[in-house]
Amino acid sequence: MRGFLVDFSNELANAVERAGASVISVPEGGREGVSGTIWREGVAITAEHTIRGLDEVTVVLPSGETAKAVVAGRDHGTDIAVLKVPGAGPGAKLADETQARVGEIVLSVGRRKEEGLAATYGLISAIGGPWRTGQGARIDRWLRLDLNPFPGFSGGPVINAGGEVIGMATSGPRRTAATIPTSTVNRVVDQLLERGRIARGYFGVGIQPVVFPEGTARGLGMEGERGLLVVMVEPGGSAANAGVLLGDIVVRVDGAELAGMQSLQAVLDAEKIGQSVSVDLVRGGELLKLNVVVGERPEK
Amino acid sequence: MTTATAVNPEASSGITIGYSVGSVAEWLRRITVCIRGPRGTRGSGVIWRDGLIVTNAHVAVGKTHAIDFYDGTKARGQLLARDSETDLAAISVDVSGLPAAPIRSARELRAGEIVIAVGNPWDGEGAVSAGILHRAAGKQPVIFADIRLAPGNSGGPLADAHGNVVGINSAIFRGLGCAVTSDAVVKFLTEAGVLEAA
Repeated sequence: MRGFLVDFSNELANAVERAGASVISVPEGGREGVSGTIWREGVAITAEHTIRGLDEVTVVLPSGETAKAVVAGRDHGTDIAVLKVPGAGPGAKLADETQARVGEIVLSVGRRKEEGLAATYGLISAIGGPWRTGQGARIDRWLRLDLNPFPGFSGGPVINAGGEVIGMATSGPRRTAATIPTSTVNRVVDQLLERGRIARGYFGVGIQPVVFPEGTARGLGMEGERGLLVVMVEPGGSAANAGVLLGDIVVRVDGAELAGMQSLQAVLDAEKIGQSVSVDLVRGGELLKLNVVVGERPEK
Repeated sequence: MTTATAVNPEASSGITIGYSVGSVAEWLRRITVCIRGPRGTRGSGVIWRDGLIVTNAHVAVGKTHAIDFYDGTKARGQLLARDSETDLAAISVDVSGLPAAPIRSARELRAGEIVIAVGNPWDGEGAVSAGILHRAAGKQPVIFADIRLAPGNSGGPLADAHGNVVGINSAIFRGLGCAVTSDAVVKFLTEAGVLEAA
């Protein structure tokens, strides 16, 4: 019997099969193995948090063969690790994720060492603008999925019904699936292949958000009431060299008031490295201006 | 009866997913029974052929069971065979003219294919849910599906987009539906001598 549902079912299975030709298994990743996506000829990506501390991993290719893959670069911020796997198979067909629509059907595809291809399906439930991860990395688009994450799905592709990749799947908060969109992956893969890591601006301070008592902020000429209390100053770091002291409260960077931790990371993008930025801080109840040269975050 | 054509005559392009799932579900309801256990438990079963119902071993816990058919007919079912290792049981009913399930080997299924379950969870008799096959069948006698199942789905059918039964829903494992394969059911019935007898 032919019919709409049968055609639809075949289309989904075809999409999984097509995308699966570029999905690898990383058995050493995570607790029980994760997935990876062949992004370009000879280059695969996986979820960085699952292979921390490993310089080389064994992967299972779509052909079923195993191969050694060198970790060519890793970015904790976007959770992307780049693996060099010569002869792994064709690179995934990438979608322009800016064309993704709320309500569109998506599939999360993974590969397990023993069982082979695996998939779950769902919808794009919301699309938002750029956001920052807890580590301060900029992600170009928020793709919220209504989809059941399955064991080992991290590092595999999130695909549309046509089998094209809209992003890399990884674990989000509260056992959800987060998606690193294709455009962000492209950007990070380029930089990782070039430099092995992603450069991020760095002040060399530990901070904690604080709220000024009512009136104090206004007395200091601030619009908001929030600041960032310096709780650690790295010896020899940019902030230390500029004269920042423990207990200072940073209220503005580059003329913009800070609303929280992430707003500081937002002004520390890679292009600021080496530049001098003005920092307004409160010390002993008085406003003070300093110039800090943005450093580069050291490798962990 | 071998296909679901009779209840899905108009399926063609331009028909919505809802309509299509609905018509397969309607067919599956006719081959699904509600099994009531001695202690008020409720599960599901599949009419494998006239007079023969297949369910889970953990649903068929007694010697006899109250069986409710789709059309409202009620009958007593006698336990024919039970295997807790594969979690399968066969029950005979003294009712004839039943619609029987068309069977497809679970080994033919591809990851991503649509699967549909019908069962009797506490809050709905003949409740339908849909999902996809999570991964192709391996060496084990079970298949996994990305589908939302509830305890009352146990013993009920997991079917493909045609309405062919590919498994008997048996468990929920880490958010995935778990079904005993149709192949394992055939093996079980053959080994129990039920298929010849029926």
